[in-house]
Amino acid sequence: MDSEKRKEKLRAMFSKVVGPLGYKFSPDTELVDFLLEQEVNIEKEKGSPFCPCQGLTGEREHDMKLVCPCIPFHREHYDAMKRCWCGLYVHKDIEDPDSLMQISLQEFLESKK
Amino acid sequence: MKKVVLYTLSTCPWCMRAKKFFREHDIPFEYVDYDKADDKTKRDIKEDCLAHGSEMSFPFVKIGDDVVVGYNPDKYSKLMGL
Amino acid sequence: MNVESRWILAIRVDELPDGEKTALLLEGNKVLLLRKEGVFFAISNKCPHMECPLSKGTLEDYVIKCGCHDWKFDIRNGEFLDAIEIKVPVYETKVMDGSVFVNLEGAGI
Ligand code: SF4
Ligand code: FES
Repeated sequence: MDSEKRKEKLRAMFSKVVGPLGYKFSPDTELVDFLLEQEVNIEKEKGSPFCPCQGLTGEREHDMKLVCPCIPFHREHYDAMKRCWCGLYVHKDIEDPDSLMQISLQEFLESKK
Repeated sequence: MKKVVLYTLSTCPWCMRAKKFFREHDIPFEYVDYDKADDKTKRDIKEDCLAHGSEMSFPFVKIGDDVVVGYNPDKYSKLMGL
Repeated sequence: MNVESRWILAIRVDELPDGEKTALLLEGNKVLLLRKEGVFFAISNKCPHMECPLSKGTLEDYVIKCGCHDWKFDIRNGEFLDAIEIKVPVYETKVMDGSVFVNLEGAGI
């Protein structure tokens, strides 16, 4: 399957996953395009569309939680940022994704205390 | 000037933006792309990340003795005294 | 809206041993039929993540783990264990005269 087609297929499958979780694709279409393209390449190389912004360790249990969309496994953290780590997805009410910051997991956990 | 080291991924747009930030401010930095690194380097980076409570989220930015996980220009500036 | 039952003959009861599962094509719908503690469960065979066939996964208790990326679903209500908002479609089953029937009502939408 060519890359463009695969990208559209991922887009269609993933929007069905993130919708019920309260997320949508970022309005930053350039970013979305870039990230989906990375995922298509990663899928070709590694067999699954792993996260372009998080590192794999080779341990299945760790790595499978980093197949896009990884939101279910990082729900609280991402909900606090209103975006996923990569920014591919944002909360449905977000119109200006540049206003959202990456908050590290550690900062997030500390803020909860 | 504080030493700046970035752990990045070759596929991550926020890593690119972080590099761009230091370039634009004429701050010399070293970087390693985790996904392109050899196994030994990967293990070292992983240890470093885990030690800082980060689950392998990139960019991982070391400024002197401080660490910033994520793209955060305000924090970079503050730590660099800009 | 008038929702009609669409009971379809799936298999004979003795074709599926307890604890086993089988992939079926029922009127064009990919269905996974499972038998657990004597009860039949039918769910869509397409994983809600990336559409891998759940028939290639592994069943433990009432949880099927997709073979592709290990997402886990409860076969009784279809819920994804890590985020119950995501569900694999579940169909009713009934046993009549030694045969298993699946109600495809709502399938294929
Ligand atoms: S952080 Fe975003 S892009 Fe990366 S895997 Fe998770 S959901 Fe996908
Ligand atoms: S396709 Fe089933 S877990 Fe990814």
